[in-house]
Amino acid sequence: MSIFAYDFMRRALVAAVLVGLAAPAIGTFLVQRRLSLMGDGIGHIALTGVALGFLLGTAPVLTAIVVAIVGAVAIELVRERGRASGDVALALLFYGGIAGGVLLIGLSPGGTPGALVGYLFGSLSNVTTSDLLVIVGLGVAVLAIVAVFARELFAVCQDEEVARVSGLPVRFLNILVAVTAAVTVTVAMRVVGLLLVSALMVVPVATTQQLTRSFRTTLLGACALGASASVGGLVMAFYLDVAPGAATVVLALGVFLVFVVLGGARRAVAR
Amino acid sequence: MTAPVFLLTGGQVVLGGRRILDEVDVRVEAGEFVAILGANGSGKTTLVRSLVGLVPLAAGHLELFGTPIGRFREWPRLGYVPQRLAVGGGVPATVGEVVASGRTGRVSRFRRYGADDRRAIAHALEDVGLADRTRDAVATLSGGQQQRVAIARALAGEPEVLVMDEPTAGVDADSQDTLAGALGHLSNAGGSVVLVAHELGPLAGLIERAVVLSHGHVVSDGPPPQPEGHHADPTHVHGHPHTGEQPQRTGFGLG
Repeated sequence: MSIFAYDFMRRALVAAVLVGLAAPAIGTFLVQRRLSLMGDGIGHIALTGVALGFLLGTAPVLTAIVVAIVGAVAIELVRERGRASGDVALALLFYGGIAGGVLLIGLSPGGTPGALVGYLFGSLSNVTTSDLLVIVGLGVAVLAIVAVFARELFAVCQDEEVARVSGLPVRFLNILVAVTAAVTVTVAMRVVGLLLVSALMVVPVATTQQLTRSFRTTLLGACALGASASVGGLVMAFYLDVAPGAATVVLALGVFLVFVVLGGARRAVAR
Repeated sequence: MTAPVFLLTGGQVVLGGRRILDEVDVRVEAGEFVAILGANGSGKTTLVRSLVGLVPLAAGHLELFGTPIGRFREWPRLGYVPQRLAVGGGVPATVGEVVASGRTGRVSRFRRYGADDRRAIAHALEDVGLADRTRDAVATLSGGQQQRVAIARALAGEPEVLVMDEPTAGVDADSQDTLAGALGHLSNAGGSVVLVAHELGPLAGLIERAVVLSHGHVVSDGPPPQPEGHHADPTHVHGHPHTGEQPQRTGFGLG
């Protein structure tokens, strides 16, 4: 039986392609700034947002987006003031996000922490048609933002002070990265889950740069790998009946190891 | 009469509770080639950083091209070269990509780079002698070559004034000569240059004026110090330790 015979699988595949493209696209800029853990921090905060949705009886995706954006902007504002305190702030957000999520879900009527599991690790049957519309809309928006602002984001991530002197709106661009990352996290949580979203932002980038010299090739290659891994993970999840997020990330890490070996071999040959 | 490129009067900078610059007056005219000299800790770097708006003034008044810095918007007229090219990012980038990023402020985000942009980028790469390294990752270049990439990035924006923080520090002799050539072109084309230097080296012949700082004050402003005695010997190695309380006025180094 083909997996395309199921409506929910077709929806999940479309979502997986978009999430697989969008997460590494914004992730490349996070990795370049050495903010690889930012996606994790946002993911943890988004959990509080999901639980808030249960508590208020509104769609968890909406509250997750709002809370994630607020948290991401907070991380960025702390980072702006100095790196050392940014590290601690990130750690505090990790703990606060998880604790807040579990606390709020406990307070909501009939809520148990188990209700959060689908959001933590992603779930195949999670994606309804209206979910899909939100995912497609926001995924396309993330890709459009990266496409339009890529040159400026590259300049800012390369050297913030040089970018400031050349007249770029550095603060706006930094907050744009934070907000875009937050939107990506909440879009991807249905497919890969909040705990593993960040892997899809970071692992494809770490993988392609084993073999690339340019930023552009790294970004495009990471998007291609991200989409392949999330579709592959979904297919794997369908046949093996495992969580798609876990399958996607294990697949991506496997490709990473292959690229590390290839990169090492190429450097050895060059020498 | 065109407005001066930089006009700083009574400039004071306080960082971390310490007064780094006090009552500094600096005026740079269009087309001038000015060196900021002084011992370590004299405030040279802080001065150039305040001129380009990276460090706020605690007191005083700064105009760029005749406009108070608070209202200044024509940033592409400035090119800034930091002490080091940042290569520590987590993602590789090629020489061509980094140099091209110097033009970002000039081009609308909704437009692709056109023929003019590509010409300026190629020209900047040639000027610093790195046209053949365009596709190489910047992290694989030597320190001197990376410094040349930082300068090419600023040149790609076709600035009217180039502000550089110790462009020759730790740079090999070949790179210093290439740098002197590139700055000579810019200067001949009517551009201004303001640079912080510890040792002038091959740049000495280009400098028209030297502003000497000591303990956050301007102690002299005029023609550059001429080499004397054994310092005039081109093979002289400037080797004494840079720890003096006062700049030693024995030659180029002033350190």
